[in-house]
Amino acid sequence: MVKVKNHKRVSVEQIQKKRQNQNAKKTLNPFEVHINKEKMRVLGKKAANQRGVPGISRAKAIQKRKHTLLPEFNLQHKSNRFLDKRIGEKSKMSNEEKVAARFAAFKAKSHNRKSIFNLSEEILSHRDHTLSEIEKFENLHSDDEESDNENNTGKLDSDFVEEAHFGNGMLTNTGREGVKTHKQLIEQLIEESKKRKAEQQKVKEATLELTEKLDNEWKDLVQLVSKNTKKAEEKDQEKSKVDDYDKFMRELRFEARGTVSDRLKTEGEIAQEEKEKLEKLEQERINRMKGTIEDNNTKTNHRSADDLDDNFLIESDVEDNTLSYSTSGQANVEIQAEINGKIVGEDPSENTENESNSESDDEEGNEESEDESSSDDSLTDLKEKDDSSDNSESEEDNSKKIETKNNKKKNKIEIENTEYKKIKVDLKDTVTIIDSDEKACPKKNRKEKEKNKRPSDLVSSGNICKKLKSDITSEHVNKDILESETNELEKVGNELPFTFKLPESYENLMETFKDKSHTQQKIILERMIKCNHPSLAQGNKENLGVLFDYLLQYLNDLFSEIENTKDLKENFQLFKSLMPHIYDLAQLNPENTHNSVLEVIKEKHQEYRKKKKRYPGIEVLIFLKLVSLLFSTSDFRHQIVTPCFVFIEQMLKNCSIKTAGDISYGLFLCTLILEYTSLSNRYLPVTINFLSGILHMAIPKTGVKIIKAPPPFKSLCSDLVLTKKKLKFHPKDKIHISSLILQDIEVEFKISALHLSLKLLREFKDVFKSYSSNVEIFDNVEKYINQIPWHLYPDEVKSEHKEFYDSLNQLKSERKLQYLIMEEKKPKALRLYEPKIETVYDGKRHKVQSREKAERDKLHQKLKKETKGAMREIRRDKAFLGRIKLNQRIQSDLERKQKVNRIFAEAATQQSELNTLDRKNKKK
Amino acid sequence: MAHIERPIKVSKLLRYKAQEFLESSRNPDILNQIINHFDSGLDTVSCLLALEMIFTNLLKDRSMYVEIIPLKPIERTPENQHKQWLKETYEGCFNLKILNCLEHESARIKLQGLSTAMNIIAHEGRHPLESKGTLENYVPLGKLKLILMKILSNKYNNTNLINKYTEYLLFDDILFFTWKILPSLTHKSNPNETYIINYLGLLEKLQIYPNSERKVLCAEENVNFFTFDENVTKRCLNKIWHCIMYWMHTTNTLKQLLIVLLEKVLVHLEKPLLLTDFLMDSLDVGGPVSLLALQGIFTMIQVHNLDYPNIFAKLYSMFEPEIFHTKYKARLFYLSDLFLSSTHLPENMVAAFAKRLARLALLAPSEDIIIICNFIGNLVLRHPGLKCLLHNGNGVTASSDPYIMEERDPLKSNAINSSLWELQTLQNHVQPSVANAAKFINSPLPSVEWDIGKILENTGDDIFDKEVKKFSKLIVLQFEQPKGLSLNRGEKVSMYWEFD
Repeated sequence: MVKVKNHKRVSVEQIQKKRQNQNAKKTLNPFEVHINKEKMRVLGKKAANQRGVPGISRAKAIQKRKHTLLPEFNLQHKSNRFLDKRIGEKSKMSNEEKVAARFAAFKAKSHNRKSIFNLSEEILSHRDHTLSEIEKFENLHSDDEESDNENNTGKLDSDFVEEAHFGNGMLTNTGREGVKTHKQLIEQLIEESKKRKAEQQKVKEATLELTEKLDNEWKDLVQLVSKNTKKAEEKDQEKSKVDDYDKFMRELRFEARGTVSDRLKTEGEIAQEEKEKLEKLEQERINRMKGTIEDNNTKTNHRSADDLDDNFLIESDVEDNTLSYSTSGQANVEIQAEINGKIVGEDPSENTENESNSESDDEEGNEESEDESSSDDSLTDLKEKDDSSDNSESEEDNSKKIETKNNKKKNKIEIENTEYKKIKVDLKDTVTIIDSDEKACPKKNRKEKEKNKRPSDLVSSGNICKKLKSDITSEHVNKDILESETNELEKVGNELPFTFKLPESYENLMETFKDKSHTQQKIILERMIKCNHPSLAQGNKENLGVLFDYLLQYLNDLFSEIENTKDLKENFQLFKSLMPHIYDLAQLNPENTHNSVLEVIKEKHQEYRKKKKRYPGIEVLIFLKLVSLLFSTSDFRHQIVTPCFVFIEQMLKNCSIKTAGDISYGLFLCTLILEYTSLSNRYLPVTINFLSGILHMAIPKTGVKIIKAPPPFKSLCSDLVLTKKKLKFHPKDKIHISSLILQDIEVEFKISALHLSLKLLREFKDVFKSYSSNVEIFDNVEKYINQIPWHLYPDEVKSEHKEFYDSLNQLKSERKLQYLIMEEKKPKALRLYEPKIETVYDGKRHKVQSREKAERDKLHQKLKKETKGAMREIRRDKAFLGRIKLNQRIQSDLERKQKVNRIFAEAATQQSELNTLDRKNKKK
Repeated sequence: MAHIERPIKVSKLLRYKAQEFLESSRNPDILNQIINHFDSGLDTVSCLLALEMIFTNLLKDRSMYVEIIPLKPIERTPENQHKQWLKETYEGCFNLKILNCLEHESARIKLQGLSTAMNIIAHEGRHPLESKGTLENYVPLGKLKLILMKILSNKYNNTNLINKYTEYLLFDDILFFTWKILPSLTHKSNPNETYIINYLGLLEKLQIYPNSERKVLCAEENVNFFTFDENVTKRCLNKIWHCIMYWMHTTNTLKQLLIVLLEKVLVHLEKPLLLTDFLMDSLDVGGPVSLLALQGIFTMIQVHNLDYPNIFAKLYSMFEPEIFHTKYKARLFYLSDLFLSSTHLPENMVAAFAKRLARLALLAPSEDIIIICNFIGNLVLRHPGLKCLLHNGNGVTASSDPYIMEERDPLKSNAINSSLWELQTLQNHVQPSVANAAKFINSPLPSVEWDIGKILENTGDDIFDKEVKKFSKLIVLQFEQPKGLSLNRGEKVSMYWEFD
């Protein structure tokens, strides 16, 4: 608004000026006006430069230059200049005027106030109080009060005035005795006036005091008064207390209604979904393997079907536990919790354990099942019923729940399957859903119902999930083993407390794990994870991350100080049983997993760097295996797996082989590489190098000719050479892990190491099948293999050798080498020009461009214009200066000429005088 | 506590004694006490310091200076006798005590002995025991020679002493006189290995030209400049080299010798062509030695117009799988890059090199594969005819590689008819950096060569560090839950290893 006003004002001034100019223009000399001739007149077109006054504008410009450029020019090359600041020196003033002006200026300076409107310097007051004081409004006695009793002011009252004024009361008081003189009268007058003023003051003070006192008393009273009112209100409220009905009604009103949910999915659909998800993940993995995918696809939360199920189970179980513990600590509840705990304890472990052990642990499981007590049996029976999931309600007392049972179950499953995150719904939500579904359900105490239903319900739903999973993975689990396993776990689980706090320090964890069997440790870890699931509390995710770190440390400690075979076996057993939970932990907090594993690998590599010639401890193998279990090793580039490859390569390349342990270590590393690359079919040369080195060690050296060995191996080393026939020993399919700590190279070890190397070579050969130079890779191997005395070895090894040798030959004969062809350059397309067609042509070509571009163009144009103008001005300045210089030149020349003339003239006169003198002398 | 305090006390005591000796009495007893203590073998370092202090001060005071006037016997005044005694003690101490320290077991005492000896020499140079005569600079050559003899011992490996001595070689006069003394110390017949190692170690440190700072040890500061005659040092070098070349060398010393030759000597030899036979012999030794010899021959060819037939066959034969595990791998690549930099070489020969390198790459460590890939790329860039190794548009197939790996002669290896399948295979390498390096054969070649110099010194550690630092937001976990210790797909470890 303000701006607009200003603008208006300016425009008014401008108009006035223009008028003046116009007036001036009117008086212009018509000879000075120059009119540009127009060749073609266009209607409505603005004619900018139609007429001008070149003479006048030039004169103006010259004038302007004289005022600006000329003084500058005159001061050129002068470092100093003299400014006269005296008043009236420049303008022509008379002396008196000058003096007056200077005096005025002096006065003004002495009175100089910073601003006329600056009031703060002077203190304004009203009735002896400063304005600021008044503005605080502390004193509430207003002016009005005083003005009300105006008669009380110190003024004289009317009687007195009547008497005293107007002839000094002479009219009334004439002739009285003791006539007061005029002077006395005046004194009396003054006295009276003072007295009144004093009285007035007194009264005023008294009232002030009284009001203050009153104020204070009121303050004390206020509290009492307000309290009374509050109490009264409370009483009112009590009277209107709601009854149960209202309360319930309100509850119902405000409760969340059952939300509309999707149609329940059939099992087939769910399976289909899982399949799709898996396929998608697999596709992503393949993309990463090819190295085509870039980081822009930052979908970090990879989950699989298995993942979902497990997490769900944990989730539900956690809920169970919290429920049973939080409600109350009564005996009844405790029993229930125990049942829950048992059942809960099994679910995920069942899945993993059964699957992992299904291959090998048949006997073990049977043995254990025999040991079971009868009480446990009954419990498992109970569980069996749940498993069957048809009529699992037998244990329940309340028959009314049966109707709702199925509904609930379905609900629950649906929730499970939709989203893992959604499962975090707390108890209430589920209840409300149930309630909305069964409207006809008679009123009951809900909590009670909930309590009773929950365990069996969840268990059964969990079982369905499990069943689904087993369908998907198409794993047929032996039920007997499952039972026995679970029973054993139950037994162990019952001895342990059901909740575990997360360890605060590593020592804490060690204390918890101390003297526990590996099943116990497994259960402890499982419960730790369940009790502290990320969905339960804020910081749990981080804390579980810390737990993961501790576990890594635990693994490190377990495997770094192994001396005997028994320890090694036990620790591997423990590692095996802990592994599923480590995997779960890793899935819960991928970032942390990633960082801590990377840190561990880095640390181990640093340690290794110090002694490059020696294989590091077994813990490194464990961590490398862990990497393959936790991360996707088939990626083209993976932040953890790729450094691991480098690490393994360095070990295989540099470490010297002295003991049987070293050989086993290297073979284990080769197996790891095989595992890492089994999906991606990739190649690490050093593995072949190492395996051919092992073969080389088995060649008997006759001494004359040195057979060159690949570098970490010594050319003369013959540690694996078999000297006698050993046909009776039958090498197992697998080498036992204890050979990692073997020192001496026994005959049996020689055979089994060679056996394993052959098998690994065959595997690698299969991996490299698609490579173009697969034969060349095995050149060395072939050379060595032909020199080993195979007749000394048992049949298994022989057949293995034959198989490998044949397949190698087959590879050679079948190979077809396609000559390399470079990708052809794509021909560059010609640029095509199409006619530009405008639908509407309005005489102007509108550029289609963005606003920024337009603005920029405009600015460019302006700049161009201004530059041109500035150059023109400079040119004119130069011309002006040139003229000045020329004038000066002419001036000085003229002066000089005059001087010369004058001197000549003087000289001429002098000469003439001299001549005349001479002539005079001659004449004489 | 007492044990720790003792040495401090002793060193203080010794210093105090030395001061006492210098200040007032010049009492022979004190000096004898110190020397005796020295002989006892305890606190050698402190004794050395004390002796150094005494003798340097004596030299400064000219207390041992006996003016010799020609044709006049020295007066037997007690003063002169004292001087004479001091001088004898001084010589004795230097020759027997201080120099023997250079053969001490302890490295610390050795180094201290050397620095004491050199300090004394410096002081004697400044304040000579005899009149200088016309010499501008006086360096006690006898003593310097003794020191050098100790350094060039044939019993101990004196690497640290030589390093310490290098500090003194910064002084022009010491450097010059070391050169001058060295020929007389060089064995004519075959010395033992330790001696050769020491000798070559010293020779490696010696330089022909004077130092830029022009410092002189055996003269007062800024008195006069030392004239350093480069011709003399060169002559000495040539003289020495003649002896050295005919010593019996072990592989180790030969390697050292060649390094010294290549880095220091070759440029300064008067008749370098005399080396040809020597280099040829070394070339046949094999391993790093022949590599170094090859470099020497290359320099000879390049600078001295040596004509050596079949040099490329020699180079070709050097590419063996073992070369990747030697220290001289980088030198080999550098050298072969130089050798093959000419664009006028026959194509089938260069193709043989490319093919052999590719073969080696099949079983080479990762860091070397990257070098080899870039190297082959450079070869193809230099010799456009090699493009047939990458692009053979005839569409034919072969049942086996026409290239003959066993052939010693690159020209007969038939490499030009082959194709670089090895690189195609290496694109499947587990290291992404390697796989990417091998991928150059797929796309059109660049116009500029790869810079090999940067990656020559790369090690596996470098690759590890680089990969660890590579930060990507994508965190990829295994999405299939493992069963116990085994993966769902591709489990191999538990296939071959038994855990229970």
